[in-house]
Amino acid sequence: MKQRIAGFLFDWLVGAYLAVMLHRIVWHELLLGIEGPTSSGASSAAFIAGIPDWLVYGAVGLALASAASISKVSLALLVQGKLERRMWQRTAALHVASLVLSLTFITGWVVTKISLVDMFSGERLRAAGRIFSSLLQPEFAILPQALSAIVETVYLAFMATVLALPASFVLAFLSARNLMRGNVWTRATYTILRALTNFTRSIEPLVWAVIFTVWVKVGPFPGMLALMVHTISSLAKQYSEQIEDIDPGPMEAIASTGARPLQIVWFGVVPQVFIPFLSFTIYRWDINVRMATVIGLVGGGGIGTMLNQYQMLAQWREEGLIVLVIALVVWAMDYISARIREALA
Amino acid sequence: MLLDIRSLSKTYPNGTQALKSVSFTVERGEFVAVIGLSGSGKSTLLRCINRLIEPTSGTILFEGHDVTHIKGEALRRYRQRIGMIFQQFNLIGQASVLKNVLMGALGSVSTIDSILGRFPQSLHEMAMRNLQIVGIADKASVRADSLSGGQQQRVAIARALMQEPQLLLADEPVASLDPATSHSVMRYLGYINRQLGTTIICNLHFLSLVREYATRAIALRNGEIVFDGSPSEITEEWFRHIYGEDAVEVEIR
Ligand SMILES: Nc1ncnc2c1ncn2[C@@H]1O[C@H](COP(=O)(O)OP(=O)(O)O)[C@@H](O)[C@H]1O
Ligand SMILES: [Mg+2]
Repeated sequence: MKQRIAGFLFDWLVGAYLAVMLHRIVWHELLLGIEGPTSSGASSAAFIAGIPDWLVYGAVGLALASAASISKVSLALLVQGKLERRMWQRTAALHVASLVLSLTFITGWVVTKISLVDMFSGERLRAAGRIFSSLLQPEFAILPQALSAIVETVYLAFMATVLALPASFVLAFLSARNLMRGNVWTRATYTILRALTNFTRSIEPLVWAVIFTVWVKVGPFPGMLALMVHTISSLAKQYSEQIEDIDPGPMEAIASTGARPLQIVWFGVVPQVFIPFLSFTIYRWDINVRMATVIGLVGGGGIGTMLNQYQMLAQWREEGLIVLVIALVVWAMDYISARIREALA
Repeated sequence: MLLDIRSLSKTYPNGTQALKSVSFTVERGEFVAVIGLSGSGKSTLLRCINRLIEPTSGTILFEGHDVTHIKGEALRRYRQRIGMIFQQFNLIGQASVLKNVLMGALGSVSTIDSILGRFPQSLHEMAMRNLQIVGIADKASVRADSLSGGQQQRVAIARALMQEPQLLLADEPVASLDPATSHSVMRYLGYINRQLGTTIICNLHFLSLVREYATRAIALRNGEIVFDGSPSEITEEWFRHIYGEDAVEVEIR
């Protein structure tokens, strides 16, 4: 029953989506050629004045979902793999699925304003030639400046990783399912911390950087804070997954000697995860260097800020040098971190 | 009487009834072998005794004290008095042999001291003595996972000896070892039982080992005790009753 309700809701959503796309994109933008969001009035979906658009779309979706559920040509059934064996129903459901897919593609095309003219007209190609030729003739005069900026970036990434370590380490144990099975309190802690780290991790470092530039002003410090927050939640997740993967035997053996909970974790768990933790941490530093170059774009300091300044000035040869320096350093970091991790494994 | 198990039952959350009202007593100094097919409940029984698993119902009396529901500090002190060794040895492979043995004494070292590696000299000496008992004192400083299976099990025995246990639980201690090594490990258990007076409850697969080392055998079948007596009383008939009609006895020499 629960599944059938969920299935009906799914079909309803798909129906409403079809209604919106057909009306807004296909009818308005493609056939009538009206651009941008439509207001009510002549272009409204409501043929009877006064009814809001979303109600009309919802009603159409509901009608389609009902039709689907009566005829059992349901997309939800297709997704769940429980479609009736009848040939025509499967075929019909597949047709609906391909309709949804092609509509989505058409919508995507319209929304991203894809234009071959913008890319390959003579004027545009000349512009492309200009920037590429400048980028390929890097201006070495600013090399010392670029180097000191990238060093700042590498240190920024390093500090973000190191300062995140203790928090990630503690969080990892508190959000490892196999260690937190004990009682209601530990299970609640586990659930809350998991939700919290999942949430923080879903926010990109770039967004954190914007937040911190407002908080502590522009510069490397907010950039470091942004990366640190992201690193804490990312490492905590990787660490805790590693903990959940351990052999429970040694833990059981330590517990059987009458050891205290912290001793069980320190002696039964930590030795098993130490090397993998180290490996994750080094990899994270490597990722952070990469991210730190971008974070500068929103005022997070380092080479990214420099990249941003020369873009404002449209000095593409200087920009070319900066890109070159970034590429070399990121490549070197990648290489070094891979070698260290190999040695650890 | 050391241990008194009364109507012990364990039903796992998924509904499996691993133990069904099991009752028996163990006297000091006994070497009890627990036999039975895989899945008959041997491991569950051992883990209920030191409360690694919570029994569903029944009572466990240890030296006359009810330990069925003790928690926290009391449970840790209780566990300190019971050593346990495992089929997979369960050593910390990344740590040295000596450190593994010292871990047996964690219950008597404060958390902070143990984490900082500050084990008293007396425990170091005791660890070396226990390694001598199981004949691998020369391996004290090597990594535990560089040892052979039989050597690892002996380290595990030395670790359990750090608890100066009243009772030693052994869950199929030789099931991952070859026959010759099995006998060597069993001989150490026999020595500990007779010379140190430690009571032993040991899950075993091979009847020949039971006959050679145990003073008493308890057979489980589907979570119930179907035999409790001297190993020499296990006749052909009993054997079929315990292991099923199609079973054939194999020997380990
Ligand atoms: N954690 C568990 N959850 C559910 N069932 C289990 C669990 N551990 C053991 N069992 C079941 O309990 C029964 C007894 O298992 P066990 O005590 O391991 O037997 P033995 O050690 O004699 O092989 C088996 O049927 C086994 O499948
Ligand atoms: Mg078992």
